[in-house]
Amino acid sequence: MGNNRFYTPDGFSDVLPGICEFKREAEAKLRDLFSLNGYSEIETPGIEYTDIYMDKEYVDPQGLYKLCDQKGRLICIRYDGTIPASRFAATIYKDEEPPLRLCYIENMYRYNEVGGGKQSEFTQAGVELMGSAGSPADAEVIALAIESALEIGVKDLQISIGQTKLFEGFMKGLNIDKETSDKIRNAIDQKDVVMLEKTASDLGLSDEDKETLLMFSESQGTYELIEDMRNRISNETAVAALDNLKEILDILDDYGYLKYVSIDLGLIGSDYYTGMLFKGFTYEVGFPIIAGGRYDNVVGAFGRDMEAVGFCLGLSLAIIALIRQGMDPQVSKPEVIIGYDIAIEGARKAAIAMKQQMVAEGTRVVLDTQGYTQEALEKYADDNGIETCIYINETKEEA
Amino acid sequence: MLTIALSKGRLADQAIELLEKAGYDCTAAKEKSRKLILEDEKQGLRFILAKPADVPTYVEYGAADIGVVGKDTLLEEGRQLYEVIDLGFGKCRMCVCGPKELKGKLDTIPNKRVSTKYPNITRAYFEDYKRESVEIIKLHGSIELAPLIGLSDVIVDIVETGRTLFENGLDILDTVAEISARVVVNKVSMKMKASEIKPMIEALKKQVDIMNNEKKEA
Repeated sequence: MGNNRFYTPDGFSDVLPGICEFKREAEAKLRDLFSLNGYSEIETPGIEYTDIYMDKEYVDPQGLYKLCDQKGRLICIRYDGTIPASRFAATIYKDEEPPLRLCYIENMYRYNEVGGGKQSEFTQAGVELMGSAGSPADAEVIALAIESALEIGVKDLQISIGQTKLFEGFMKGLNIDKETSDKIRNAIDQKDVVMLEKTASDLGLSDEDKETLLMFSESQGTYELIEDMRNRISNETAVAALDNLKEILDILDDYGYLKYVSIDLGLIGSDYYTGMLFKGFTYEVGFPIIAGGRYDNVVGAFGRDMEAVGFCLGLSLAIIALIRQGMDPQVSKPEVIIGYDIAIEGARKAAIAMKQQMVAEGTRVVLDTQGYTQEALEKYADDNGIETCIYINETKEEA
Repeated sequence: MLTIALSKGRLADQAIELLEKAGYDCTAAKEKSRKLILEDEKQGLRFILAKPADVPTYVEYGAADIGVVGKDTLLEEGRQLYEVIDLGFGKCRMCVCGPKELKGKLDTIPNKRVSTKYPNITRAYFEDYKRESVEIIKLHGSIELAPLIGLSDVIVDIVETGRTLFENGLDILDTVAEISARVVVNKVSMKMKASEIKPMIEALKKQVDIMNNEKKEA
């Protein structure tokens, strides 16, 4: 017993000075950015009923940190930002006129594979734009995602945008049933071309439809790709999805962000998404740092029909990427150290007054607590890179 | 710089041969030494030799951009990866095997005890596909021993020629999956290093097609 007192649990770790300082600064920048763009920050409880996640199977129940409350009801630690924000919008904010612009910066908790090396606790910063259905809302959220990444120093950024309705429309147009289309969706998600080719032959698709299906596994582009798909797919749902993608690109062009984005047909998501969805990538981490999209049915599941679109930035993951890309977060050192000779009456008071004044002026300053002599204090300051060393061994005669 | 994770052993040799045919100089990878990382700066390639079961992990985390690994390992590990090419070599089958007397009678034993190196594949096969409960015993090698000595009723394992099985009075009772070597790619690398990865995939695909055509003709 008690042997675990030296360690943190699997998937949890301390955030070290320096990195923690950088993280807090990044959070402050993101908070400002969200606020300046009209998003109000909310803090949802750290613990929710598991029902908010499990009723509609939004998450794999195995991923939830589950507990019981005193009445035996199943509760869980905050798993994501979107579901609680949706609950909030549909209940507490039910009479609020749309659109709602909400944001959060919180730690999330997810069980991961033991020994898998993934963190179970991580910080996400995200926004939700609720009650706004069209491409302008989609584009606003993507633009804000780009700005968030740039704001914290991610320079090499690529955003891939997909549209789940494009795939759905294509399947509908070919009269493919849900079970088969789920299988195809899975194969596209893994770029399993072998499986796609086999399915296309099994279904007896025409050569052109087969080619289109395979494009879902590999095609990326911008306007030309949208036009190409227009010539291939005539289903209404799919055409509307293409219009949506084109409009999003047009708006992002107005922002000047076209250079960061491309259309990726393979990004088709799960049933959770109901329109465009996107992911953001950078170098040196094997996972996307940004994920977002349109999920028009989620708020409705909590009793208020309202479209919604949002994104979240994995701040912990982005910081790992930045460090691997060469950022070296430094611990802020004191600029001044003040010592005093305790034998001199009034020296301590003078030292304290000096420290208080410096803090008020915004100087990082420490007061010696080790009782160093002047010589020892100077050595300490020297060794620790503290620029200014002040030692008080005489007090001015007070007038 | 592309990092390629190879499964130590025959699969690595075959993968290197294929890469050479596809126009990539793999002198660095063929170097006979105990180095774990073999780098060819000029070509921008870096090879790592890993235990096969670890290859999907290296690739999922992006520590390696590309991996060459058997479908058996991919099924067992269940990682989030792009699986882009079936290389067609390293072919074998994942099978349920047991005493030959059980042939055709696999379903008659309730609550089977199954020995395997592949507990995840075994669970998925019996629970999701056969809809039955089994007791899984994880072993690390010589799986055929288990039913002979009474540790388990059947086994789930890779079958290449089946010689070990037949010589020990065992037989194949059912096929779980067809296995061959696959090229897998990290999902972020596919975006961020597309200009290096896509041509490599195309060149490899071309060679695989040539290989498959040769096989058909032979």
